[in-house]
Amino acid sequence: MHSPFPLAKEEIAEHLSAVAGPDFVHFDGVRVTVDPGNAEDVAAILRFANANGLTVTPMGGGTKSAWGNSVAADIVLSLVRLNRLREHAWQDLTCAVEAGCTWSDLQLALTSHRQMVAIDPAWPDRATIGGIVATNDSGALRLKYGSLRDLIIGMTIVLADGTIAKSGGKVVKNVAGYDLHKLMIGGFGTLGVITEVNFRLHPTEERRRSWTVRAIDPMMFHEGLAALLDSQSVPSSIQIRTNGQRFALDACVAALPETIRDFGDQLQQVFRNLEIADSSEEVWLEREELFNRSENLILKISVLSSQICSSISQVMKSAAEAEMEIAIVAQATGLIMIRLSSSPESGISFVDHLREQVEGAGGSVVALQVPEMLRERLDMWGALPCSIGLMREIKHRFDPKLILNPGRFVGSI
Amino acid sequence: MLNETQIDELRTAVGPDRIITGRSQLQTYECDGLTNFRVLPEAVVLPRNAEEVQAVVRFCAKHRVPFVSRGAGTGLSGGALPAAGGIVISLARMNRILAVDIPNRLVVVEPGVINAQVTQRVSPYGYFYAPDPSSQSVCTIGGNVAENSGGAHCLKYGFTVTHVLALDVVLPSGEMVQLGSPTLDAPGYDLAGVFVGSEGTLGVATKVTLRIVKRPEAVQTLLAAFHSIEAAGQTVSDIIGAGMLPSALEIMDALSIKAAEAAVHAHYPECNGLLLVELDGPSREVDALMIDVQELCKVNGAWEIRVAQSEQERALVWKGRKAAFAAMGRISPNYIVQDGVIPRTALPKLLSEISEMAGIAGLRVANVFHAGDGNLHPLVLYDRAIPGEEEKALDLSYRILQLCVENGGSITGEHGVGKEKQEALGRMFSEPDLATMQLVRCAFDPESLSNPDKIFPRPRLCAEKPGPYVPHPLETAGIAELF
Repeated sequence: MHSPFPLAKEEIAEHLSAVAGPDFVHFDGVRVTVDPGNAEDVAAILRFANANGLTVTPMGGGTKSAWGNSVAADIVLSLVRLNRLREHAWQDLTCAVEAGCTWSDLQLALTSHRQMVAIDPAWPDRATIGGIVATNDSGALRLKYGSLRDLIIGMTIVLADGTIAKSGGKVVKNVAGYDLHKLMIGGFGTLGVITEVNFRLHPTEERRRSWTVRAIDPMMFHEGLAALLDSQSVPSSIQIRTNGQRFALDACVAALPETIRDFGDQLQQVFRNLEIADSSEEVWLEREELFNRSENLILKISVLSSQICSSISQVMKSAAEAEMEIAIVAQATGLIMIRLSSSPESGISFVDHLREQVEGAGGSVVALQVPEMLRERLDMWGALPCSIGLMREIKHRFDPKLILNPGRFVGSI
Repeated sequence: MLNETQIDELRTAVGPDRIITGRSQLQTYECDGLTNFRVLPEAVVLPRNAEEVQAVVRFCAKHRVPFVSRGAGTGLSGGALPAAGGIVISLARMNRILAVDIPNRLVVVEPGVINAQVTQRVSPYGYFYAPDPSSQSVCTIGGNVAENSGGAHCLKYGFTVTHVLALDVVLPSGEMVQLGSPTLDAPGYDLAGVFVGSEGTLGVATKVTLRIVKRPEAVQTLLAAFHSIEAAGQTVSDIIGAGMLPSALEIMDALSIKAAEAAVHAHYPECNGLLLVELDGPSREVDALMIDVQELCKVNGAWEIRVAQSEQERALVWKGRKAAFAAMGRISPNYIVQDGVIPRTALPKLLSEISEMAGIAGLRVANVFHAGDGNLHPLVLYDRAIPGEEEKALDLSYRILQLCVENGGSITGEHGVGKEKQEALGRMFSEPDLATMQLVRCAFDPESLSNPDKIFPRPRLCAEKPGPYVPHPLETAGIAELF
């Protein structure tokens, strides 16, 4: 039971100082931030918060803190000091890394043995392992290597009551016990705080080459893209992008020189009526670029991969009708990111209309970045999944006092 | 014990010809591939669709009758062992492929569909279903989902969970839900991800959406004979170290080769360490990398290297490997299959320790393993007719698992914990880890009706709190013991 008298922020800061040390607790007059140095301190902080009914937001680089519903927690639990690569068993193609390590720091360390964790999340220089995992971010490499679900082999988490639990392990093949880490991937920090993650690794892509195909209508890519995805080629990434005017399809392959040449020939063949040119690695940063305008609405749409071109076409049409500026980066896996600049009213009706179409066909539309004036009025997550009752039950079992990122997730979990 | 009224109720749920209550027929269901545990169920039902499964599970929820779902019963850890006083839900009649969507590379199946049938169905389009457990010609997708089955090719292609996008599930309450989605990143917790591999303890899957994979342009399979298993193991490390990701890397020792030869005449070279390497992908890439693989084999002292020259030769190579377990019957009256995993680099050390332990126990251990991912399949050979030998064999096989855990590995790579390794799970995970897993169990199945008393080391109830070990109320009351 927590005290009937809520603690003042100053008192909270004082208690946390006793756990993490005074140098690692900051109070700016509004919220208290604490930077614990190890999982045991994370546990002690959560035990304290749980006992006193204080809400907690786990935080890494803060790059995606706007994703999901807003939470004004009593305590921001920063993982930045848990930033070590604990183990790189390069001959076993695995590593164990603390959650506060930035993506770039991890990848740089793994490069010494020409290895990588095979995803390309946004803002790698600032985004941390824990935040990337909690939001299940992924980029264009997902086409070839899968998502975090396929690359994470073990995890350490701290529950709301301070319990430190591990799942999985350090070997790639392992079916012992429940895979708790699957619940943490994309769980937005609502079930526990991730403190360490074990990954399976892949060799780095040393010989990569990218091309860009250009068209004036996304449907002009449809057949060629279907042919590519139905072929025996193994591209690393394929994306379609537009700034509202012209359309580009980028494709990248990493292979031996002969295979790279073959893939180039195949592109020429499947897009024979379109302009094709070599392109740079820069094109793969376009998804991240979408977020550069904080005043815009950003949506993540998920459709079946065969519907990408028609979905882009449809979205473009709706945006034109509503006189909105639009930019899109769509991955061949069926994940489409769109950026819209619009008035609040038209933004809401646009999302409603889009959800009607996409959700009706089995897909989803999630708002990732929402302009301040729309935040209160726009549902970030869309239709509730039919298993929402089960999800709430899991949340209730893991965090009965609802202290971890309360309300941030689907269905206000 | 079910009474007549209850049996009638079940009969109404599934129809009179799809319930089994006669003792001799029930005996077919008293165990799975792990035959040393047997429990006779009260009844077996064979529903034909999700609604019938739901009616059966609702019956179980109403009367608090435990249930165990079952596919082909090929599991090796006792996962489909019936619960005492419970019923078995056989999904064998739910064996339709419901949809094939080639443009989106998806197949929707009922749980009783046999693994190999998925590939058969999509092969005309140039696709295959990647998870390939050795039993793939008989085991079902439902069973694969329960166990998160792997196979020889999961090194490159991943496990069942990599290939399951969505599931229709009847929860232990009788409620029907869809977990996951054919489209990526459906909002919410990844319940499909946690359901796959939960060994039937979270509910019954009635429909599964699977991802299929384009068959690669070229596949080449190489056999290399080494004087020692260590040299074969070093070659595996060198192949991985060179940045290659073969679709399969398998090692067999002299005993396994002998058994496989006796069973299927795979024409393997007689040697102490046989390495099987399979590469697939674009033709030119496979050709070039196969030359590199052969070089690495030679550097490590391979004295015979063969590349299968035809699809028939390749099939024969795999037939021998996949028959290795069953083939042990040719060289030993009884054997125990284990399924531990170790970090690949610990392989030489572990193999010599296993050999030493086997010597001390006076038993033979044959080794067949997925070397690429460190998944060992030590087969402890023994003769049940010799008094005390079975106990010695069991003890040795558990000590091998312990060794895997001590070396940073796992007690099971693909067979599951089931009944067999319940206690061993406690050696791999601490009490707080297990208690946290139990939170998931309790959210799905608060009454512990779905495949109860599996996976977890001791009787647990959903009211238990995570934390340091406290005796279970059943223990305190003297009703249950903790072993």
